[in-house]
Amino acid sequence: MGSTTTTDADLVVDTDRGYFVYGVVTEAPGRVPEGLTGVGGAPVRSVGHGPVAAVVGEIDLERTTGRRADLVAYSQVLDELAATGAVAPVQFGSVLVDEQSIVEELLAPNEQHFVELLAGLNGRAQFNLRASFHEHVVLGEVVAADPEIRRLHELTRDLPEEAAYADRVRLGELVARALEDKRVLEVEALLDSILPLTAGYSLRSGAGIEHLLDVALLVDDERRSEFEDHLEGLAEAVHERIGLRLVGPVAPYDFVGGDTWG
Amino acid sequence: MTVQQSSQRRGGGYLQRPAPSGLADVIEIILDKGIVIDAYVRVSLVGIELLTIDARIVIASVDTYLRFAEATNRLDLVEHGGGKPLDEFIGDMQESGAAKKVGGAVKGAKKAITGGDDDEERRPARKSSSRRRSEA
Repeated sequence: MGSTTTTDADLVVDTDRGYFVYGVVTEAPGRVPEGLTGVGGAPVRSVGHGPVAAVVGEIDLERTTGRRADLVAYSQVLDELAATGAVAPVQFGSVLVDEQSIVEELLAPNEQHFVELLAGLNGRAQFNLRASFHEHVVLGEVVAADPEIRRLHELTRDLPEEAAYADRVRLGELVARALEDKRVLEVEALLDSILPLTAGYSLRSGAGIEHLLDVALLVDDERRSEFEDHLEGLAEAVHERIGLRLVGPVAPYDFVGGDTWG
Repeated sequence: MTVQQSSQRRGGGYLQRPAPSGLADVIEIILDKGIVIDAYVRVSLVGIELLTIDARIVIASVDTYLRFAEATNRLDLVEHGGGKPLDEFIGDMQESGAAKKVGGAVKGAKKAITGGDDDEERRPARKSSSRRRSEA
């Protein structure tokens, strides 16, 4: 920023306002839908550089961000963009000071990466799949299958919480291990069934007794109904022990790489 | 149960298809995801660091084991008919499962986001990029 040409008044304006960056798209006329608004109700527009463009909205830097409405607005802008073409989401809360830094620090240095990334996302959408054990069913299986677990279970269940502390920890440890063994087998089977229909996947972390699998799936638009029908069939096949929950299509948050850009 | 009622059903209806409208859903979808712009380039905003809470939960802890033991003992309520009817029990499981994966993190973030007004004074945005430029 050339401070020699900037007046004091401009500096004040510069520090109050910034550009909230939603994502990166392929530069094209009309790529950002007319009338789209984002965080803080600000109009959303694109700042282009060669074949790519950043989708941005002005934001008041003095206000607290991260409120419910901001998060929802951010995801709505990205889902809207994803519905009409390829978009590479930028992490929530990324703000650059001016158009110049959007071009010089984000777009120009990463132009080739973004072009390739967007080509890989084109015609595809992300779905988030979660598989959860029905807790009482798998715990019942675990207790029934292991005599030591059954013994500790019967020993500890009628005692007050303070009593038999070591036994309860041991019981929990054995149950956790048994569930983990089950989980490994089930996850393998689920992925074997699902991945042939997808263009990519990214495992998400999860924990808890019922946690089985949490995975982001990248699905070709032309295979979407085949994918959805397959999951419906799979959900029916496993429903007595496992629940399947599918969210999407959403913007491809999990398929933009883990590197730092900029 | 509410989760099932709000789900869009297709085919046999065994696959839950919730619309991701709630705050917990949105946080879960976007948490820690997306292209990361270098901290030296971007402007820091108040409240954003809350979204980078590590969502991983350590499995191998005594507390976790105690929760597993507790859950195993809850099983008796079902087996011995001392608790809720089975259907209701399953429903509760599914409902709570909906937001449980990053439960701790989501709750933490939600609390911080919605309760940020009370204890967190508005701080001026830190402008690392302009500072860096002025040094240059």
